[in-house]
Amino acid sequence: MTVIFEGAARALLIAHAVLGFTAVFASTHHAAHAVLATLGSRQTRALDRFAWIAPLAVVAQALFGLALYPTYRVRVRAAVLERSAPAVVQWFDFKEHLAALSLALVIGAALAGRGMAPETPRDQRWPVAALSCTGAAFLWAAALIGLYVTARQPLP
Amino acid sequence: MSERALRSALAGVAAFAVGYLLPGTLQLPSLLYDPAARLAFVGRVPSGVVMRYYGDLLIACAAGLAAAAAVWKLQPRQPPLAIAAGSALSLVALDLAFYLSRLLVGV
Repeated sequence: MTVIFEGAARALLIAHAVLGFTAVFASTHHAAHAVLATLGSRQTRALDRFAWIAPLAVVAQALFGLALYPTYRVRVRAAVLERSAPAVVQWFDFKEHLAALSLALVIGAALAGRGMAPETPRDQRWPVAALSCTGAAFLWAAALIGLYVTARQPLP
Repeated sequence: MSERALRSALAGVAAFAVGYLLPGTLQLPSLLYDPAARLAFVGRVPSGVVMRYYGDLLIACAAGLAAAAAVWKLQPRQPPLAIAAGSALSLVALDLAFYLSRLLVGV
């Protein structure tokens, strides 16, 4: 039995990890600039810059993760974790849900925050910061859980 | 930035949160993928190594894009932004609470 992309699983995992941390740091930058902009500081250039870096990194890491998922499902989850560490399976499922929600949050915050300036009405600034901070927090949690699961049971 | 873009993003996030939570919770038909057989099909309850993550994510993305596009096109001025933002974030929080409860029960 050969699982799709199994031959490239290690390369996919490394790319997923590198892009994952790129996404975490880019979305954290976006969140920090969005908070500063909400407080009245001019952050337009930084927000415009991270408005394409953060979503691009999040989508790219998600695509690598989706490509890797079948191999994890068969070779790691079904073969090892479900018998030896079912709690880790639950943590991984939680990570996948966080990653999915962060996809919408980061893209939404990036699109809505483009061009945000101190002249922008305050009631339009804080929702961008809230979306961005929530997305970044979810990505941090997903990255840390992903590291933990990989440390507990790496690919065979 | 424009209010139109913000309302569109908030609608997209809200619809994504609903579209991601409901199909799995209510076991609605979704795209399932069997990685061992390398076969995709439509079904309700995955068994064994069969995954429904791809299907649920597709539904959520479609719902989010559709809602964002509809709000972008229709340009509604209501509800107030605070309520729209609060609703979108509450739906995300609902998803988080649901999945956290499942995690805590399982762990």
